[in-house]
Formats: sequence, structure tokens, C-alpha cells
Amino acid sequence: MISLDRASLRYGPILGLSPTSFELPEAGGITGLLGPNGAGKSSLIQLLSGLLPPSGGEVRVFGQAPFRNPAVLARLGLVPEGDRMPSGLRADRWLRMMGQLAGIPAAELPAAQARALTTVGMADRAHLPFASMSKGMRQRIRLAQALLHGPDLLILDEPFNGLDPEARLVLMALLRTLADGGVRVLVSSHILGEIAQLTDRILLLFRGRLLAEGSVPEIRQLLDRHPVELRLVGEPLALARWAVEQPELAVLRVEEEGVVISVRSPREILPRLQAAVAAGTIPVRSLDPLDLNLDAVFQYLTKDHA
Amino acid sequence: MPIYAPTLPPAPDLSLGQPPVLVLMRFDLARLWRQKIGRFFGFGFLALLLFKVARIYVGHLLQTNAALRPVKDFAQSILTQGASFQADLLSPASYLLWFLVALVGGGLVARDTLYRVRPLIYAHPVSPRDYLLAKLGFASGLPFLILLPFVLLPWLMSLLLAGLDGPVWVTAPLRLLPAMAISSILMGSLAVGASSLAATPRAGVSWVLGSVLGAGALAGLLRGMTGIAAVDALNPVLLAEAWPQLLVGVERPFVAWVPTVVGTALHMALWVTLAVRRTRPSEAIL
Repeated sequence: MISLDRASLRYGPILGLSPTSFELPEAGGITGLLGPNGAGKSSLIQLLSGLLPPSGGEVRVFGQAPFRNPAVLARLGLVPEGDRMPSGLRADRWLRMMGQLAGIPAAELPAAQARALTTVGMADRAHLPFASMSKGMRQRIRLAQALLHGPDLLILDEPFNGLDPEARLVLMALLRTLADGGVRVLVSSHILGEIAQLTDRILLLFRGRLLAEGSVPEIRQLLDRHPVELRLVGEPLALARWAVEQPELAVLRVEEEGVVISVRSPREILPRLQAAVAAGTIPVRSLDPLDLNLDAVFQYLTKDHA
Repeated sequence: MPIYAPTLPPAPDLSLGQPPVLVLMRFDLARLWRQKIGRFFGFGFLALLLFKVARIYVGHLLQTNAALRPVKDFAQSILTQGASFQADLLSPASYLLWFLVALVGGGLVARDTLYRVRPLIYAHPVSPRDYLLAKLGFASGLPFLILLPFVLLPWLMSLLLAGLDGPVWVTAPLRLLPAMAISSILMGSLAVGASSLAATPRAGVSWVLGSVLGAGALAGLLRGMTGIAAVDALNPVLLAEAWPQLLVGVERPFVAWVPTVVGTALHMALWVTLAVRRTRPSEAIL
């Protein structure tokens, strides 16, 4: 369905995406496009959605180059980042225009619009102006826009930004429903947790480079090779005694309230820590991972690729 | 909130859709029509049109009614019926028209920039050329459509009331319609080009008004400094008014033929080039 062969994108002197190669197969499923701001996620989405031609290499979507290619664009739905919509405009009127631009005949448009709105759960609120809609409602209308013409590939750029937890869960459920129905969904995000909840496959981008590709467990295994910092709050000496006995320990720092340990293979040490706490061997009041955020992950992976 | 759809909507047949240029133009027109500004200008232009028509009717009465014969000479002095009268059919409306073009056209591209609509539009089977043609078509078509009754209604009325001897020449539409078309395209290209430079609709209005008034001020300044009349061709307002005058053959048009042609071409080229550059897909980043 999607294949990149050393595809790159430049904005003048700035490299948005380094030569990148990967393939996504046909059929449904969700692929997460993960990376911090400036990683090249939007550049990749611009290439895939036919907004820009690659500066080098080749991009193919449905076997064809997507840039200004109506045959590809007609099978693709895009939900760009952001939720700013013309405040006075009614959602149904905006959707009608987008449906017409997608090439839906006038006779079929009302039915297509009703179906898409029902899919996103907005059938009874589409007559409202954007100004009176919540962020989550606007995001669902944007998704309805992308679904109007029944795309085979749905691309969403940072769709969870600014949504409250409930709206996130609703949107995730909706994306899973679409993927189960045979739509290939590509979701970009800079939050590992969001993507991990949602998808079975991840593309990891950093500074315009594709760092890793695979399932969430595969990427976690990749990360396990690197030390992870954990802060254990409790009796410092007892915690330090327990920590030095662990073979995965790389660094130990004793603090007033507890200890900070740096461990390799956290997936192996954490069950032992849990068992020790449950048995009352060590007095732990709290456990905080200090560097399990995405930036740390990328730093580790970047060091690997350096 | 519940998810209602257990299945996906079937993909509709996309081969019978409408041309995107028409879709975008119609959307902008419908949006204008629903806004208060659209109704305000509608009434404004209607009042102007009624004044024009009434003027022709008064002229007809003066010609035909014996009771009004004493005031005929005086009336004829203020109701010139030569080439100037023909060109004047459009001119009073043009000031209001520039204002309308600035207010409406200023937001045409800038609104899409602010709300990042262009990436979404270009992700559909719509090319940048379609987008630009739609915006230019709307911004040029609107003044043309507004001016149309200002030519056709007085012409028809004059023809019905006084036949071939009426105050409006029988051939007036043949001369005025092309003039209207050129002036409208000039207005439209300036509005779209200036709007494409702005990031918000309000800034777009300021860009259009600033460009129109700024070019006029510059032309006036250069004219005062150099004494060369041709530099008036920098002023888009004068250019728009010069075209009807030139095509109906007014003795002393605001701007002469060659400067008008060159000035209009330069303005159109400049503003359309700006609009093309600013609405490229690379400018419509996600």
C-alpha cells in the first residue's frame, strides 16, 4: 500500500526527511508514526498525502506516486494537525464542500455525509457552527471529512493534541473500528503512550531519520539494552542494600528521601522489585521512572545510530 | 460518548463529481451571501442602480414632457449624454466596488491560510491551479456580476423609452462589458494577490486597502514630482475607471491608452504571480 525507497524531503536548505525506506502492506491495521517535534512526521505525511513531491528517491501509495495524482488522492483521507476552523461556519456546510471537492456526485453527497457523521457520532450535531463545538467535536468533524469518500488509507497528523482523556479514548476506539473495517490508518504522535495504546506497528522518526520500525514489543526490546533511571522513595539504606544486589544495576545514587538507580533491562528488574515490595523486604513508598519519556527513548536510539 | 457505526460507509463513485473550481467559487459566494456584509453591499449597489435608472427616466421625461421644457436646458447641462455619460454608468459604483473587493477579497486566501484549509484541499483531487482559478474567478466575477445591471438595465430602459435616440448608446454594452471584465479581473487579481500575503482575513483586508491606497498615493507623489501623467497608471483605481472611458472614447480619460494597458498588465502580472507563489503546496505546510 505504501512504499518509500530512499525518499527524502528538503525545504530549501533544511532537510525535513532524510532518505527513508520502508513498506506498509495492504489491508487494515494501524501504524503509529512516532517522533518528537521536528522529527519529520509531518514531512512524511506531506509526501504520502501528495502535498509535496519527494526531493529525492521515490514515494508510492497504492502503487503510484501520490503527488498531484487524483487516482491516489481519491483513495486517501487526511486529517491535518490543528483544530482551528472558521468559527461562524456550520460543520455540515463545510463537509458538503469537502465532499464535493473529493468528487462525490451531488446525488450521493447527503447519504455519504450522513454515513460519515454517523461513523464519528456527530450526526445530530453537524448543523452547529464550529464556534459552538468542543475540541473533540471539531476533531470528529475533521475525521468525518476524511471519511466522506470512503478512503482506503487514512492519515491523521497529531489527532490527539489537546483532547481530554475521554475524547482520546473515543477517538482511539473509532480508529480501531475503522482499522478493523479494512482501512489502513496512519497516526502520528509525539507521545509514546498514546501510540502504544493504539497500534500494533510503529515507525520511529527522529531528526528527519527513520530510527526504528516494528511492533511495540520489538521497539521496547530495543530500548531494554539501555539503562533506565528509576527513583525509589523510601528508607534509603534499605533500598540501597537491595539495589546493589541486582545484577542489572549500572548506577546508584542515595538521596535524602530514597535512591535513584540506573538499571539495564528494566523489564527484568521490575518484577523482582514488585515481588520484594510485596514481601515487605524493601520499604518503597513510590516509584518514578525518570527517563522513560519519549525524549530519553530517542536519545538512546540516536546514540545507537550515531 | 458512544460510537455508532459498526461498519464502514461504502465508498461512493467519485467519477461524477463537480469541477473543484466551481465548488470552491460557489462555497465562497454562499458564504458571502449569508454574511451581513453581503446584504449591506447588496442594498448599497441596489440603491446606486435605482439612482442610475431614475436619472435616465428623468432625462426621458425632460425630452418628452412639454411641462418640463423650461428646465430642459438646465437639466441637459447636468445630464451629459455623450461618451462621458456612458463611461459614468460604471464609475460611481467603482468606489463602493473597491471597498467590497477589499472587504470580501481580502479574506479569500488569508482565511484558508489562518485555518490551514489549503493542505486539506490539496489532499483532495484539487490542484493549486484549480484553487487559484476559483479564488480569482470569485474575486473577479463578483464585481463583474455587480456591475452587469449597471450597464444592462440603463441600456435596456433607454432602448425601451427612447429607442435609438436614448441617452445610452445602443452599442454601449459592447464597449462597457469588455471594460468591466478587464477592471473586474484587475480588482480580483489585486485582491487575491494581496490576500495571499496575509495570515488573517483582517490583515488581508488591510493588505488590499493598503495596496490600493498605497499605489494611488505613490502614483500621485510621482506625478507631482515628475509631472509625467503616465505614472497615474500605477493607481489601480484610476486604471479601473480608465478602461470604460477609453473604450467608449472619452476625450480626456484619466489615463491614456498605452499607460493603461501597460499598468493593468503589470498589476495583474504582479498580483497573480504573488498569489501563485503563496498558494503553492509547499506554502501550505501541515
